[in-house]
Amino acid sequence: MSGSSSVEDLPDQCKDLFTQDGVLLKACLGRPITDLNSIGMLCIVENHDNSKSIEWRPNDLITIDSDTQDQEWAVVNTIGISMSYAKGRRQRTFSGNITADYATARARIIRIPLEELKTFRVTRNNQQMQFSTKPGVWQTTFYFQHGNAEIFVASLKNHVKTAKTRHDRNTYVVVEPNTESQVLNKSFAELDIFTENTTDVVWNLVSNFKQRPYETTMEAFSKLTDIVYYGNEGASGKRDVSEEVADLLTKSMNEIDEATTVTTLTRQSDEYEVVTVNPMLPPRPVIPRGTPLSTEKWEGLQDTEGRVTEVDGVRQLIFRGGIARSIRHLVWKYLLDYYPWHMTHAQLKTLHKKRTEEYFTMKLQWRSMTEAQESRFAEYRERKNLVEKDVNRTDRTHPYYAGENNPNLLVLQDILMTYVMYNFDLGYVQGMSDILAPLLLLMGNEVDSFWCFVGFMDKIASNFEMDQAGMKHQLLQLQQLLMFVSPELANHLVQKDSGNMFFSFRWLLVWFKREFSHRDIMRLWEVLWTGLPCANFHLLIGVAILDAEKDVFISKDYGFTEILKHVNDLSMCLDVDKILSNAEGIYHQLVSSPNLPDQIRVTLGLPTINISTSTHSEADNNKPSTSRGTENGYPRI
Amino acid sequence: MAKTYDYLFKLLLIGDSGVGKTSILFRFSEDAFNISFISTIGIDFKIRTIDLDGKKVKLQIWDTAGQERFRTITTAYYRGSMGIMLVYDVTNEKSFENIKNWIRNIEENASADVEKMILGNKCDLEAKRQVSKERGEQLAVEYQIKFIETSAKDSLNVESAFYTLARDIKAKMEKKQEASNPAGARSGGGHQLRANEQQRKPTSWLSRCSLL
Repeated sequence: MSGSSSVEDLPDQCKDLFTQDGVLLKACLGRPITDLNSIGMLCIVENHDNSKSIEWRPNDLITIDSDTQDQEWAVVNTIGISMSYAKGRRQRTFSGNITADYATARARIIRIPLEELKTFRVTRNNQQMQFSTKPGVWQTTFYFQHGNAEIFVASLKNHVKTAKTRHDRNTYVVVEPNTESQVLNKSFAELDIFTENTTDVVWNLVSNFKQRPYETTMEAFSKLTDIVYYGNEGASGKRDVSEEVADLLTKSMNEIDEATTVTTLTRQSDEYEVVTVNPMLPPRPVIPRGTPLSTEKWEGLQDTEGRVTEVDGVRQLIFRGGIARSIRHLVWKYLLDYYPWHMTHAQLKTLHKKRTEEYFTMKLQWRSMTEAQESRFAEYRERKNLVEKDVNRTDRTHPYYAGENNPNLLVLQDILMTYVMYNFDLGYVQGMSDILAPLLLLMGNEVDSFWCFVGFMDKIASNFEMDQAGMKHQLLQLQQLLMFVSPELANHLVQKDSGNMFFSFRWLLVWFKREFSHRDIMRLWEVLWTGLPCANFHLLIGVAILDAEKDVFISKDYGFTEILKHVNDLSMCLDVDKILSNAEGIYHQLVSSPNLPDQIRVTLGLPTINISTSTHSEADNNKPSTSRGTENGYPRI
Repeated sequence: MAKTYDYLFKLLLIGDSGVGKTSILFRFSEDAFNISFISTIGIDFKIRTIDLDGKKVKLQIWDTAGQERFRTITTAYYRGSMGIMLVYDVTNEKSFENIKNWIRNIEENASADVEKMILGNKCDLEAKRQVSKERGEQLAVEYQIKFIETSAKDSLNVESAFYTLARDIKAKMEKKQEASNPAGARSGGGHQLRANEQQRKPTSWLSRCSLL
């Protein structure tokens, strides 16, 4: 059967104008309880008669090729957030077969026509949204796993005219559905695209901002003050474009704040020079962390035979809050590709037996090597020496590895030696013992630790390759990301001969293992293993750490040595939750940026849209750069 | 603002993985030893200011990861170093053999006039010794580099080693300066300048533990 013809056959074909994934249906009047708590996508769609609706679709309706799940998630996310700006709209497409299950699932779609929408509100730190088509009743409640309901609100405001109620800042009243659709959007750059549809008031503000950022900001602040103090909104709660101006300003305030702070820190004489805050980036959303995946939730996400049915849901939950200690050792096996998600308990038992045998076969290979053999096998001896040296200096301050003749050190050594046999070409490289130590500490079992280690190494093997090309590439990617997120800091580093980012080598080589306590590194790693919200999220962790230190680097005018010292001294002084939250905020800034260059899109696993920047060669990175403005091809306001 | 030192010397510790580079540095900068050091990933440095013939000399000592794989990264830090400690482990034959490779590495990446010194570390582990002191001395003669056996654990000769290297750098610098500035005019800025003091002869400690 042909998938494409079926799509054509669908009676009420419609276009997705905006999609956002990771949205859980929490409550819906008149729905069976079995429909609740499932994960899906919240969309704004245009129906065949040009009317629009909010639509929620459960995930099992979205066909996903199982082997490309990670990418698919990233793609869905991207299209939802950024492609909608760039291309305006996207045809809904379904790949694969459309079956009877599909019809059943379709019945679970929830649709709220925008014409009927009366009010909506955002609660719980942008984690929850409720909709109402009748005054006094919240009919539908959605939970945003990424804590990013504000993104949906921003998009929804393109399609309906809203006003905030006086008593509750988080409740919006729909004034009228906005049929022209394009009005205000999130960033100034986007407004550039839609100038003809923007009201004069806003456009003047924006164009003034572009030409005279400082004055316009101050002017706008006074307007905002007017609104706040003199109650510009009418008694009816109906507000005109000034409301939108206020919103726009509130959003831009953080940026301005930042810019003015910089002014005082550097030179006050030339405000144009110092407003180097990247105009492409919308303000950073503050995204709170969630609670860890609990035993109950974990069990609830499996079927009776032990298959994990909601893999995406599990990943989402782990991304948001990590894993509870009690089940961490189990869930890690899945995250590290040792246990396939779809296997039953019985199948896992068989797999475990097979993997145990494999492990001991490989272990025997080196255990049975005689001294005479060793003496004629230099490459083996070399690897063995390295392992022995490093095992004796791995996490020895932790009770699990402390003390003379600690038996756990022998296990560490056996696993690493067996890994040498598993992947002799890669062999043993410094840093691997750091990667293994927390795994063994948690699992307490040689075989399980080994296979989890294999899984982790599969993710980061390029870090350890002989030519170090993988590390160099990541350092370059980190530099490019920083240049987009925090150009001022990136340029400072370049000027101080640190544009090669070598000071972050340790971070990237062992995924921040040396920067955090065991407890925190476990949390960080499990979040990173989910592959969410994008590829190479660990680089955004690096960006988040650096961005938080930006003021120190710049105000103290740190040079080459101070930069390295400061970065090394951050070890054990970092707050893992804060960094994860910031990194996720940066991710949202990036995907919401309409001019995100392809170079960065590729790094994050997003589809490319032919925005290029001048590529930084490694040689360029060492050159001091003093030019501003169109640095890297990013236009400046 | 007055500087708290007269000279700033950038030094570098290189050698195979596990020969004790970090331990030597820790002994020198903190006067302590910890049997279970962690391996160095990437690069780090420590500072100690010493008094050398009446001058305050600030030593900025860079510590590198030893494994060959990371050499592309670590060699980036060779640039600008004025003195290099080549470290091997007397209980590890291979690390001694590799000193030749490290010297070649220096020739390729560091400035030609960089002061060098070879350290045979872990000389407290007499029972496990694989490289005799004589072989170390012989190698040093071959390359015309100073040599000293050290024990970071027992705090043997670590001070001497750094003082020797620093003194040699200072002497070389002052010689250079005298050559280019025979009138002996005091030079203002720059951390390696302002030196016209008469050179003193090496003191007796040198003969105690080193070859040259």
